[in-house]
Amino acid sequence: MDPTQLLLQAGVGDWEFVWRQRQFFVDGTWLAVKLTFFSMLLGFVVGLPAGVVEAYGGRYSKGVVRPLGVVVRGTPILVIISLTYFAFGVSPAFVAATLALGVRSAAYQSQIFRGAIESVESGQMEAARAVGLSKLDAIRHVVLPQALRRSVPGFQNEFTIVLKDTSIAYAIGVAELLKRSYDLFSIQTTAALEVFLAASLIYFVLTFTVNRGIEQLHDRVAIPGGNQ
Amino acid sequence: MSDFNRRTFIKSVGGTGVALTLAGCTGGGDGDGSTTTGTTASGDTTTTADVTTITPGTASGFPPFEFVNDSGDLVGFDVDLLSAVVERTDGYELGSWEDLEFNQLIVALDNGNIDVAAAAMTINDERDQTIDFSDPYYDANQAVLVREGGSFRPESKSDLADRPLGAQSGTTGKDQLDSLVEDGTISNSQANTYENYVLAVQDLVNRNIDAVIVDTPVAETFVANRNVVVSFTIETGEQYGFGVRENASDLQTALNEGLQAVQDDGTYADLTEEWFASE
Repeated sequence: MDPTQLLLQAGVGDWEFVWRQRQFFVDGTWLAVKLTFFSMLLGFVVGLPAGVVEAYGGRYSKGVVRPLGVVVRGTPILVIISLTYFAFGVSPAFVAATLALGVRSAAYQSQIFRGAIESVESGQMEAARAVGLSKLDAIRHVVLPQALRRSVPGFQNEFTIVLKDTSIAYAIGVAELLKRSYDLFSIQTTAALEVFLAASLIYFVLTFTVNRGIEQLHDRVAIPGGNQ
Repeated sequence: MSDFNRRTFIKSVGGTGVALTLAGCTGGGDGDGSTTTGTTASGDTTTTADVTTITPGTASGFPPFEFVNDSGDLVGFDVDLLSAVVERTDGYELGSWEDLEFNQLIVALDNGNIDVAAAAMTINDERDQTIDFSDPYYDANQAVLVREGGSFRPESKSDLADRPLGAQSGTTGKDQLDSLVEDGTISNSQANTYENYVLAVQDLVNRNIDAVIVDTPVAETFVANRNVVVSFTIETGEQYGFGVRENASDLQTALNEGLQAVQDDGTYADLTEEWFASE
């Protein structure tokens, strides 16, 4: 069906209903934001070291990190989240969702950081070692400060993905935005379209503002005279 | 007919409730008596001073059995009934509700995320193989919903031939779709499944499918709220029961006694009146 026709069909009363029940969206949005924040944080804390290991690790550390990353990246998020909650019995559901989204994000973030690290010319590492820095210090003080700056665009992408994937937590009963939307149009079943539109608008606004914010951060921390 | 329920229903259930015992419980009586039932990593089952807290699970979006109301609270016939039943048991109290997808309830029971499922769940052989059921507490059939203004008015299953139909996945309505596919009435691609009956009815109203097969009590709710009507009813004679883990026969017995108690003291009739009497 033609989308404009669908919009015209949408009764005014259903929009009033959405507005009257805005608390549902506020609650759902807040939960989605919390899920995103903690998942991204966990993803960063685990993903950054994993990225460093993938770039500089020895045979054994790489041998552990790389296959793990491949397995996690190769598993659908719905499977990961169901396994965490139902099979491993992580409870409450919010923790299970954060853990699942966080681990998945770590696997993706490790590749973002690995790519950024490998983009730093190898000559810099050699120079740092030549002036007497240990390998670890060279990574920490020379390579990472540049690599982290270059990873901002990839990180931005990852943030958008995680935010929207929080809706998967619906499967284990976490009352985030999508679950709240389902609750809502079960009360007023004619309002399904309006509720979905309102939820998409919220996802869009969240993604847009945070992306703008990261963009500004990117400009501010850009390597002076770099990337040219 | 669609107006079969209410008082007639209350009477029939009140009367036959006793006779219908044990329809859903096959051989789950042994292997019990230990304290291991339901204690898992999630730690949902805690025993303190002979009172066991059980975690109930449901799948909202199935009014009037279970749905989230205007204030964001989980309410419904099942919610009230289970609370009343558990109140009348010895040694059990109800913890906070887990609201999952209907599909996931049996998995959640098996893995100890929840201890009892109250979700208008029909007792059938397939489910009975993995979980156990309490005594039946509600009778239902399958209603075939069609658009109110449309000319399509099927009167039997054969009238559904070669029509796109819909149901919610994991439900007994979906089983009806499957059997229609099996006997060749409709093709595989004409059997549409949805995560939620609200979406199935929306698709019906949007003219993408021609009928939705759904439990009769829920069909009534849709008839009241949407431009749909019940065209005919498939007499499946199904019954809802509370789902419990296999071998959790202590809990099963307690729930059955509780069900008996609420039927005897009139609470059951009050609840049916409250949740199904809104025309």
